[in-house]
Amino acid sequence: MPQDDQESRTFSRRTLIAGAALVPVAALAPAAPSSGQSVFSSAERKTLEAFANRLVPSDELGPGAVECGAVSYIDQALGGALADEKTSFIQGLADIDAYARKAHNTAFADLSDEQKDAVLTAMEQGSATGFESARAVFARFRRLTLEGMFCDPYYGGNTSFRGWDMIRYPGPRVAVSPDDQKMRVEIKPYRRSALGANNGH
Amino acid sequence: MAINLKPVDVAVIGLGAAGGVAVLPLARAGLKVAGLEAGTWMDPRTFKPDELHNNVRGLLTSVPKANQEVPTVRNSSSGPTRRGNIHPMMNAVGGTSIHYWAQSWRLKAWDFKTRSETIKRYGAGAIPKGTTLEDWPLDYDELEPYYDSIEYEVGVSGKAGNIQGKIDPEGNIFEAPRKREYPMPPLRGSGFTDHMGEVAKQLGWHPYRPPAAINSQEYQGRPGCAFHGYCNRGGCHISAKNSTAVTTIPAAVKTKNLTIFDHAHVTRIVAGADGRVTGVTYIKEGREYFQPAKVVLLASYTYENSRVLLLSKSKAYPNGLSNNHGQVGRHYFAHYQSGVSALFPYDINVWYGTPAQASAVDDWADDGYDHAGLGFIGGTTLQPYTEMHPIEAASMSSYGFAPTWGSKWKAFVRVNAARWVSAYLQTSTFPYEDIYLDLDTEVKDPLGDPVCRVTSLVKDNERRACDYGQKKMEEWFRAAGAVQVSRAPIGPPGVSTHAYGGTRIGDNPETNVLDRWGFSHEAPNLGVLGASVMGTSGARNPTQTAQALAWRTADHLVKSWKSIAG
Repeated sequence: MPQDDQESRTFSRRTLIAGAALVPVAALAPAAPSSGQSVFSSAERKTLEAFANRLVPSDELGPGAVECGAVSYIDQALGGALADEKTSFIQGLADIDAYARKAHNTAFADLSDEQKDAVLTAMEQGSATGFESARAVFARFRRLTLEGMFCDPYYGGNTSFRGWDMIRYPGPRVAVSPDDQKMRVEIKPYRRSALGANNGH
Repeated sequence: MAINLKPVDVAVIGLGAAGGVAVLPLARAGLKVAGLEAGTWMDPRTFKPDELHNNVRGLLTSVPKANQEVPTVRNSSSGPTRRGNIHPMMNAVGGTSIHYWAQSWRLKAWDFKTRSETIKRYGAGAIPKGTTLEDWPLDYDELEPYYDSIEYEVGVSGKAGNIQGKIDPEGNIFEAPRKREYPMPPLRGSGFTDHMGEVAKQLGWHPYRPPAAINSQEYQGRPGCAFHGYCNRGGCHISAKNSTAVTTIPAAVKTKNLTIFDHAHVTRIVAGADGRVTGVTYIKEGREYFQPAKVVLLASYTYENSRVLLLSKSKAYPNGLSNNHGQVGRHYFAHYQSGVSALFPYDINVWYGTPAQASAVDDWADDGYDHAGLGFIGGTTLQPYTEMHPIEAASMSSYGFAPTWGSKWKAFVRVNAARWVSAYLQTSTFPYEDIYLDLDTEVKDPLGDPVCRVTSLVKDNERRACDYGQKKMEEWFRAAGAVQVSRAPIGPPGVSTHAYGGTRIGDNPETNVLDRWGFSHEAPNLGVLGASVMGTSGARNPTQTAQALAWRTADHLVKSWKSIAG
């Protein structure tokens, strides 16, 4: 890069303010990896939704993983940034279903909540059979579910900021005042994606 | 074959925290400097306040060259090796100083003279078994002026605790004497860190706000920190974090004596039959270049410094450059991981700010307390800090209160994700016979060169010191009202951003690659910069010491130009 480019990078107040504008989520271009095409068949999606809904259920305390966008996040990620693990993830879904049929004679999505939870428990403990590693599949599904619930909505998850609201994360801000860093106070949520169409902020 | 470039006075390999500092005194002295950097300039406007990008996917740090050269790690010389995907360092003009925490400390006087001071106070039996620890060839007072240069040229915020012997309890009363105050006041505290500071005082300890290379106010035309909270593994979009990309490197460019060659992937340092180095070979866009230089300064980070030397074999150096005494890669060590987390019964709001916005305590660090009967030397800085991100927060330990999923997990996390925090603990670490760097025998980079291999294991001295520090941190958290505390396991360090040694400085060429100035005992016109030259770690982040040493080496080169450049 030519050196005079660096010279032009001395920061005036004006460029700071211009460069620091957060883009409202409504103004965002579609997230980069989204082609509108799902990586899942409808059966796979149904299994994943059922699984995510047991990981973090929708209940009287509020929305669950699916309503928080976990599945749409995972779909977009496997179609883009995490494309390398698409095959193994979908294999994991097939293994969950196969194990459910073996243990309970029913597809995972059609099990009762108690039966589904028994499958999750067996996976987490490593006793579920038919997986290359049931523990690893459980850990990765859980991890990606959390990413989808609590990521910037730019990535297709955290629908309507429900994830951030759930844990009282007040959102990325350009500048943070001392009051925004006090203990034992409610910080007013700033419900904005930090990632605009030009990936700046 | 290689395209020959115009000769320069000095070729600096790597424009990160250390190389990016050394170019300034060289360029100011009128030397013609070629800065060979594997990365390129980064535009601060592309830095993202985004956890997935910076922390989960490591996209700022995932630069192809570094990630093709991630070292392998094994826990004994016969154990299996493992390898991560992402290097903790990055390639860019400014290097890892772009995304580091910017904690910017001086070491203590004790860190320079640990061996002799330990023997003096506790007897020779207190020296850890198997250590290759030596006193540094310089003391704190000799480095003080260079620490001062870094604090003012790079820009460090902080509060002095000891100005020429005058103690100020607002600062760190345990610090070694400094000539003058920091150029900027410390970063402000947060509700949480101020609370921790108050509690430390009630315990009779001496808390302070730690120094950081982050502007607490406008400095050198760049603004003060906005505390927006994506500093850890993220670049600063307003350039309030004082990476060398916005401080010393642009200042060196302004002299017109520094030419930056970006995307330059250095493969070898070339030496002649007389043992002097003649220049540097690098690859850019598939073509090989040779940059002749009167002096070469290697500043490519600890793992790569040893690796480039070991790869650079020649008639004069059949076992690698400057390795005729077999010391390249020896005396390697890294800070242990030993954090402590805590759960509070109310929201502590540590979402924003920067990890350097902390409350630190040195009462249990270094040799500031009597170690008689403790079974270890050295100590730990305790540092509860701010900056939590939402995925990280929700990935919290349930402290035995809830399962890891389901409605009970959700009920727990929705209440508690905003109520937990980690403290950062850094413990003095020393070199040992059986901890070292060499070349991996199997794993290679795409050019066919072996990657660096780390052999690293837990030592009793450090384990006990970490354990003692964790106990003190638990005490502090509980006094502050934490309802639960949890210790991270004390693990052997793997590939670390706090990696030291491999090219140690010292007067004895049998045990040190470099002399007291940072120049090779064997190849007189080769210098090495970075924490790889350090013989002890101290209980604090390495960067400012590595930078002060780099400035000192450059200053020595300027003053001794004729004798070194030949």
